[in-house]
Amino acid sequence: MNYSTLVLGIIFIPVIGAFCLPWVAKFSGRLRNILSFVFILSSFILSLKLIPFVLSGKTILIQQPFALGLNFTLLADNLAVFMACISSLISAVIVLYSFSYVSHYENQNEYYCMVTLFLGSMMGLVFSANLILMYIFWEITAITSWRLIGFFRDKPYVLKADKAFLVTVFGSLIMLIGFISIYQQTGSFDLPVIKEVLKTQGNISNLVVALILVGILSKSATLPFHTWLPDAGVAPSPVTALLHAAVLVKIGVYVYARIFIVNITPDVLWHTLLPLIAGLSAIVSAGAALIETDLKRIIAYSTISQIGFIFFGLAIGNEIAVLGALLFILMHGLAKAGLFLCAGIVEQNTKTKDITKLGGLISTMPFTAIAFLACAFSVMGIPPFGGFFSKYLVFSGALASGRLWVVLIFLIGAFLTIIYLFRVFNMVFLGKVNVAGKEASPVMVASVVSLALLSLAAGFLIYYPYKFAQGAVGQMLGVIK
Amino acid sequence: MIAKALLLTIIIPLFSGVIMFFLPEKLRRIKESLLVFSSLASLLLAIFLFQQKLTFTLPWISPGLELSFRLYQFSSFMLLATAFFGFFIALYSVVFMRGRNFLSQFYGYFLLAIAFSNGVFLSDNLLVLFFFWEAFLLLLFGMIAVGNKEAFKTATKAFIIVGITDLCMMLGIALTGHLSGTMAISRMNLPLNNGVTNLAFILLMIGAISKGGAMPFHSWIPDAATDAPLPFMSFVPAALEKLLGIYFLTRISLDMFQMTTKSGVSILLMTVGAITIILAVLMALIQKDYKRLLSYHAVSQVGYMILGIGTAVPAGIVGGLFHMINNALYKSGLFLSAGSVEKQVGTTNLEKLGGLAKKMPVTFTCFLITAVAISGVWPFNGFFSKELVYEGAIERGWIFYFIAVLGSFFTAASFLKLGHAAFLGKLSPENAKTKEACFSMLIPMIVIALVCLIFGVFNQLPLNHLIQPILGIRLAGHNFSGFPASIWMVVVTFAVLFLAVANHLFGVKIKGSGLHALDHIRYAPFMAKIYDLAEKRFFDPYNWGLGIVNIISRISLGIDKAVNWLSDGLSVWLANGLSLGIRRLHTGNYSIYLAWSLVGMLVIFGVLVIL
Repeated sequence: MNYSTLVLGIIFIPVIGAFCLPWVAKFSGRLRNILSFVFILSSFILSLKLIPFVLSGKTILIQQPFALGLNFTLLADNLAVFMACISSLISAVIVLYSFSYVSHYENQNEYYCMVTLFLGSMMGLVFSANLILMYIFWEITAITSWRLIGFFRDKPYVLKADKAFLVTVFGSLIMLIGFISIYQQTGSFDLPVIKEVLKTQGNISNLVVALILVGILSKSATLPFHTWLPDAGVAPSPVTALLHAAVLVKIGVYVYARIFIVNITPDVLWHTLLPLIAGLSAIVSAGAALIETDLKRIIAYSTISQIGFIFFGLAIGNEIAVLGALLFILMHGLAKAGLFLCAGIVEQNTKTKDITKLGGLISTMPFTAIAFLACAFSVMGIPPFGGFFSKYLVFSGALASGRLWVVLIFLIGAFLTIIYLFRVFNMVFLGKVNVAGKEASPVMVASVVSLALLSLAAGFLIYYPYKFAQGAVGQMLGVIK
Repeated sequence: MIAKALLLTIIIPLFSGVIMFFLPEKLRRIKESLLVFSSLASLLLAIFLFQQKLTFTLPWISPGLELSFRLYQFSSFMLLATAFFGFFIALYSVVFMRGRNFLSQFYGYFLLAIAFSNGVFLSDNLLVLFFFWEAFLLLLFGMIAVGNKEAFKTATKAFIIVGITDLCMMLGIALTGHLSGTMAISRMNLPLNNGVTNLAFILLMIGAISKGGAMPFHSWIPDAATDAPLPFMSFVPAALEKLLGIYFLTRISLDMFQMTTKSGVSILLMTVGAITIILAVLMALIQKDYKRLLSYHAVSQVGYMILGIGTAVPAGIVGGLFHMINNALYKSGLFLSAGSVEKQVGTTNLEKLGGLAKKMPVTFTCFLITAVAISGVWPFNGFFSKELVYEGAIERGWIFYFIAVLGSFFTAASFLKLGHAAFLGKLSPENAKTKEACFSMLIPMIVIALVCLIFGVFNQLPLNHLIQPILGIRLAGHNFSGFPASIWMVVVTFAVLFLAVANHLFGVKIKGSGLHALDHIRYAPFMAKIYDLAEKRFFDPYNWGLGIVNIISRISLGIDKAVNWLSDGLSVWLANGLSLGIRRLHTGNYSIYLAWSLVGMLVIFGVLVIL
């Protein structure tokens, strides 16, 4: 098969497939579920197929010019394929979990359609090399996540969904202004062209960088645009896992890497400013996670905090730090998705999310408890779990760039991470049994356990993700290996 | 071939540990034999590898980050010590743990602990070392958590304290790797000449002394003494963690950094050591529980090692290392005796014990030997290592020597109290039927007590063959074996021990019982207040830390709420205000709309004209 076809397949199988799902559901709900899983899995498998090709250092460029610079430009390089693999893998596990989780709710058609469409547009975003194309996919993810967060139709839930939508779209509209300014300056929305033009023409202004950053920070839920994320915890757990942990919040991070590391070099100012914003975000949200009592809100705050680490690594911008940040995307995605899915099991079986009312669940749901703990260890960065390597590399890269003081801020963030995750684990799974709950259905347990095992495997077999990420970093920074 | 044997020291306990988790609870015999035989295999391997020099490298992450292992003098010694304690404590646990829950888990963690410590001792790459080092943290949590019902709280405390210090260490590793341009430990040798290298040293040091259990990272140990299963105390905080912590401390101060008597960090280490010695032993004095009392000594003794190594003079370093192995011996021996009492009597509360010497003569004898060893009585091993530490300390300042000797006074005093309260005095009627512990629990205690004696009487044996070769050329003709060089220091030591006995007799005379022999110190005018606060855990650094964290998180939540108001409050208010304003303009009056349109047209014309 042609590699360009592969790329198109990765994007359009789920995008087009998504709209077939409600129609399929007329015949069989089960078939719809399986098809949704198959579409997402096929994206994953096709992404895997691209790995050998991109690892050899080649890239795939698909171009279809349109008027006004609105070209249909796709680029598959190491970074894109890396991101595509992670997002589709985690989404596949999450959809598997949903089979059981959403089975007793209404609006399942909408759910599966939106999840599949979400993943498809995510894939589109990952591969697009045109700013406007990127923007379009970006907004599709916003719309789908709006519907997904508002899955339950009660008024407060819908309001939270609106909030998430409004905040992220507010950000992306501002970002759009930034994109248009780039077009004014360079005459193109195509990133490869922009890169070439800027080489001769000098840099883009700080104002434009700031405009784009507003979009990125709001999508990736970083201070001061982060509050929609904990609020979006009202969504069903697989959705929160998908949006908060694995995929949606990584969009901003990914776009930062795509625009500001690969193609445009922002002013040095941002190398100092952005780590500070990220550091503040990491500490503030970690601190908030220590006081919150709602299980999902805590994990959501934890996501904000960890996203800070990823931004930190990317903003430092040297080889080791970016490598660490990419691995962080992977490790955090796996572990955090696991945490959210465990939270979903707890929530569904005990009918409460308030950790002060929970306790002692390890005796009735041992697998969930162990999976939760394993994922928590990975987020804390304890070897042999994968999270260790990413955290270590980010720190190591930051030290290599001589930013000792910012590192100390993040060190506090890392301290707090250990404390709040243990607080949650102890209050939910250990101690006295307050609300009885039983273990969830096998497919749900299997998904959380597999995420925990993946986190562990990512640590033991760090060689493979490391090599892959290293290839990506080499390409991104133009370092020839 | 031999190089592969190196890997076996990690792989054998690792695999048998993992298998252990999957064995059903019913197969008790099989689990017990697996534990004993794989720890025996580790011991045999360690003996086989002893004094060999090997390196072994496997590819891992990337060039520069390889799984590189190096066996040399120091690591082979540590391997042997780990395997020694591993085997004998395993033998002991098999009987001790019978009838308890979570056997698979405990035994599994036990074996993994051997595997990971061997990994630490063998790694020649800083990141690999840290990988094993932190994996050990998971075991710590697991091993404490399988204790009694409330043990998980202590386990969490231990995990948080050690986890946080390990993060510091991780940063230190990244910094050291960056500064020296390599991750290979054997190729590092940084001078401590500027702020950054000192910071790197301190970060690594935090990891090392926290693993060793020094202040202020100690406070989980006394809690674990009451909550965790006893073999854990005897194996991990008493032996393995000291070995790990002091091993790493020695590596950083001797090999990875060039610490000299002029380095600031040397003063820092000595201060930490001295404070740990004195504060922990003062807490040990007032304990009324056998295990808790021992646990404070487990903290206090590590102070001597840190003080010794911190002096950066040969006598001190040799003394510190010698003290490390001695302490591991008598401290685990002491904990085993506590376990024997716990198993046979059912309690370790000193108020309910007494007069056990007649009922448990072997346990008593072992206790006696290890207790005099820890008190530093000639000719037991503790005497010789303490004298060496004193010798190093006095070279650096009399204050350190003074504190160390004072610490010895209190150590001796508290062991007199412990021995008196537990084994002498009146036997309570409930304990009248107590029997001696069974054979396989006695064997480890006897062996350990014997080694304490041998390492004292024939101290050339460990000093010349185990410890002094580690320092190699640094020692330059010194030989510290045999009787201490300085006679007046020996005299002081004897005088101090004599004072401790006198103090004990005095205490017994006024209070009438061994348990309350130290009450005159406990309730001394000024001390009473301090002790009251200490018993309320006012001085627990962990609580202080949590207090600070609490403040940080409250501020954070405040910021979070404020930011949230921007989106939930301010923007809603603005939108409402704006729409209200615009609604006012739309009155439905055509003439006003017409006027607006005219104004708009004029503006457009105006703009066009100006342009």
